[in-house]
Amino acid sequence: MSLVLSSAAAPERALPALDQAARARGLDGLEWVLEAEQPLEAFAVGVQTSGARVAALRAEALPQHLDALAHLAATLGVPVSAPAAALPSGALAAAASAFERAGGTLLLGEGAALEPMAALAQALRAAGTPRSVGVALELRPSTESLREASAALFACRPFLGLVRLHGGGPEQRAQDGLGVGGVLADLAACDFAGPTVLTPSGPAALPQWRSWLDSKRSAGCGSAHPPRALALELDMRPVEPRDRLDTILGAYHALARGGTLRLTVDHDPSCMAYTLEATEPEGSFSFHKVLASRGDSEDGPVVWRAEVTRL
Amino acid sequence: MSTKELDIRVVPPSEKHPTIFRTFDSLARGEGFTLVNDHDPSPLRHQFEATRSGQFSWKYVESGPAVWRVLIEKSA
Repeated sequence: MSLVLSSAAAPERALPALDQAARARGLDGLEWVLEAEQPLEAFAVGVQTSGARVAALRAEALPQHLDALAHLAATLGVPVSAPAAALPSGALAAAASAFERAGGTLLLGEGAALEPMAALAQALRAAGTPRSVGVALELRPSTESLREASAALFACRPFLGLVRLHGGGPEQRAQDGLGVGGVLADLAACDFAGPTVLTPSGPAALPQWRSWLDSKRSAGCGSAHPPRALALELDMRPVEPRDRLDTILGAYHALARGGTLRLTVDHDPSCMAYTLEATEPEGSFSFHKVLASRGDSEDGPVVWRAEVTRL
Repeated sequence: MSTKELDIRVVPPSEKHPTIFRTFDSLARGEGFTLVNDHDPSPLRHQFEATRSGQFSWKYVESGPAVWRVLIEKSA
């Protein structure tokens, strides 16, 4: 599976600059959102001369004649996804022919509810299971329930070519408890190997995405503390997961004997205790954790507190 | 044989480890999956050692600087 960034995350950036930012974040390429009336041939040349890694194309609307779009997808060797509603009813066979002739792939999405996805799979079977048209699973955990996503996934699995996650990246903390983990586990279980696209949940999230793309790995905050502290408090929730271990260990090593580090985290902190057990001398610390909040609703954010005392 | 791949980078923090253990626990013996992450998942490895000792193998396929891939297999 590859993880790619949609240009919707930073629509103002040019292709090479956005690819550079994606690369710095360890992402495998880009989904490029095509603008209406965009000259497709010039775009293809631009991609090929810049060397930017375009892994998928996105069209929010579909032109009446699909040949040029199909040709672009074939030229770049990447699929183009579009909302299923962008294709007029009865136009599936014609779309399949256009993409078949060009040698490209069109992937249609309908959210993550069971009924429309099953209907889409049924329509593809009725059209003779064309090789040139498949399905894109659209996951919108911030605005739509993922309760049926697993069932929808299995209904469309034979046709699934792409997953679009509206969130992840800088929004993953806000999507805590909404079921993203379960769907990712199901995708792994059914050997899904296609690209997963990260795209913002909406315009309000754009500032977060811009700063996420520009941020560099932090050095951790351990060195900022005076050495031999007796009490330290750290709220780990705003810290990126990849910076957390260094941050916590830095703070822990700044503790004096008898000093206590109080942590607030958004997941069960047992892994922290296991890490200290494996890396610190036996009997050199005590660890207590308590589940502070499950949030105000079933889907609310999880808050844990942990206390580590250096003995 | 292609291995299953679980990209944990997009999963919210509180769901990361449960999602990984759910995937591991559903494997048949001898099966494996590749875990993809944006940092070295060493705390996870310690948790595996503590809770599933002797039941798994852990092999780094890629070790940063931006992406880590670990092949985690369930012992036969």
